[in-house]
Amino acid sequence: MTDVIVIGAGPAGLSAAAVAAEKGLNVLVIDEYMKPGGRLLGQLYEEPDGSWWNGIEESAKLFNRAAEAGVTIKLQTPVNNIETTADGIWSVYTEEETFVTRHLLIATGAAEAPVPVPGWTLPGVMSVGAAQVMTNVHRVKPGNRGVIIGINVLSAAIAMELKLAGVEVASLSLPGKNSMTEESADPRKVLNSLLHVSHMAPSPLVRFGSRFLQNDIMKKLGVSFFPKNGVKMWDIPVQLRKAVIEIYGENEVEGVVMANVTSDGEVIKGTEERITADFVCIAGGLYPLAELAAVAGCPFYLIDELGGYVPLHNEQMETTLKGLYVAGNITGIEGAKVAAAQGTTAGLTIARNSGIHGLVKEIQLAIQSIKQTRDNASIQFHPEVKKGREIIQEKWEEHARALEGTGSEVTSEAEAGG
Amino acid sequence: MTDFEMIICRCEEVTYGELIKTAEEFNCTARELKLRTRAGMGYCGGRTCRPMVDKAARGPEISKDTEITLKYQPPLRPISFGRLGGKEK
Repeated sequence: MTDVIVIGAGPAGLSAAAVAAEKGLNVLVIDEYMKPGGRLLGQLYEEPDGSWWNGIEESAKLFNRAAEAGVTIKLQTPVNNIETTADGIWSVYTEEETFVTRHLLIATGAAEAPVPVPGWTLPGVMSVGAAQVMTNVHRVKPGNRGVIIGINVLSAAIAMELKLAGVEVASLSLPGKNSMTEESADPRKVLNSLLHVSHMAPSPLVRFGSRFLQNDIMKKLGVSFFPKNGVKMWDIPVQLRKAVIEIYGENEVEGVVMANVTSDGEVIKGTEERITADFVCIAGGLYPLAELAAVAGCPFYLIDELGGYVPLHNEQMETTLKGLYVAGNITGIEGAKVAAAQGTTAGLTIARNSGIHGLVKEIQLAIQSIKQTRDNASIQFHPEVKKGREIIQEKWEEHARALEGTGSEVTSEAEAGG
Repeated sequence: MTDFEMIICRCEEVTYGELIKTAEEFNCTARELKLRTRAGMGYCGGRTCRPMVDKAARGPEISKDTEITLKYQPPLRPISFGRLGGKEK
């Protein structure tokens, strides 16, 4: 039996694995992808201080630290189920083998929501994250000229990365409005969500913002006076008053049909135009990938500020189930640095719960470090993420009080100290 | 192509029109909508269309904030029957 199993080799999983191994535990990390690093691998952007954050290098650092600490990493191994027995042993089922442990960390990150626009099932349409992985990880151009549908922090960052790779992005525009695209098709709501991030975003977004978002007059006038042809961000037209209403092509993407929209996102008839493209990215945003926590039986809360349903957990990264922990984007959508800090905390908590003494202070510092990392983050995926964190903490406290009332333990070792 | 003809669940070939019409007619929860249309019940287990089926659902969700609307069930990734039964090496 392995002391600790971590599912997910992203920033949270690798950090947790390294810390737990450095404390003397034997640790196995399982990931379905072919390379360690998770979605961190695709990241490439300029920090506010002018230095570059290169996800491939950051992933290598995390991987090397874990490997040096003696962590075993098993790649290309999807987990299809997890189960616990009464004696507190977790079984982790993969296609070829079943692994067992007493301490299981789920660090599966996030998934991308699709954007339903007619034609979205044509070959050549991909999620914006897929275009990022093709370009930055595999170094393959997704095409020569693309259109990105969905304007948010993630798609703006990836548009810039595509541009750096020499791929033309013809437009960053809204999806046509229907009952599934909802707020992502509403120019006012999209503009507001961008306003919230522009003041703390890294330099390219600040430059984007300085063109119009941070201008007080433009803020007041809002989308009504947003230029019909968009504003340019790194020479890419950002179009809040145009929406893609169809992706066309015989056997693959040949282009999109774009139309002007009112400030509520309603299509103005007669304004349709065809724009040629050989690939299309759909960007519906990220949500916590919580399927394993769901089959394990964790209670969930729908918290929009965290990006969707998140499993109930405390600041030490314990869930309500004995021996089950969560860290990273499964607990809410944030950047890689926050995920790594959560991983460190989870690794320390697991070490303490495994009987290693003298970690109480270190765990407290690790929890503090998550908050500091969040405060210093240059991008927030949701402007109210701190509120989301408070909600889940309140829910945890409610849960703990309810258990106290029945005389049960809060979690196995949460109060054990060390 | 119109919104109504657009495919939402590729595995089971369920269109946007079918989902919206069914949701309106029966005032469905996400689970009922899934069971009536088979959206999200195909090979991939709803890994792509889940958020869209959730959004199409109109009915009152019971304790929507504490429970995932569409259940997850193992196996969470496609696996052959042979492997699942432990017969195939």
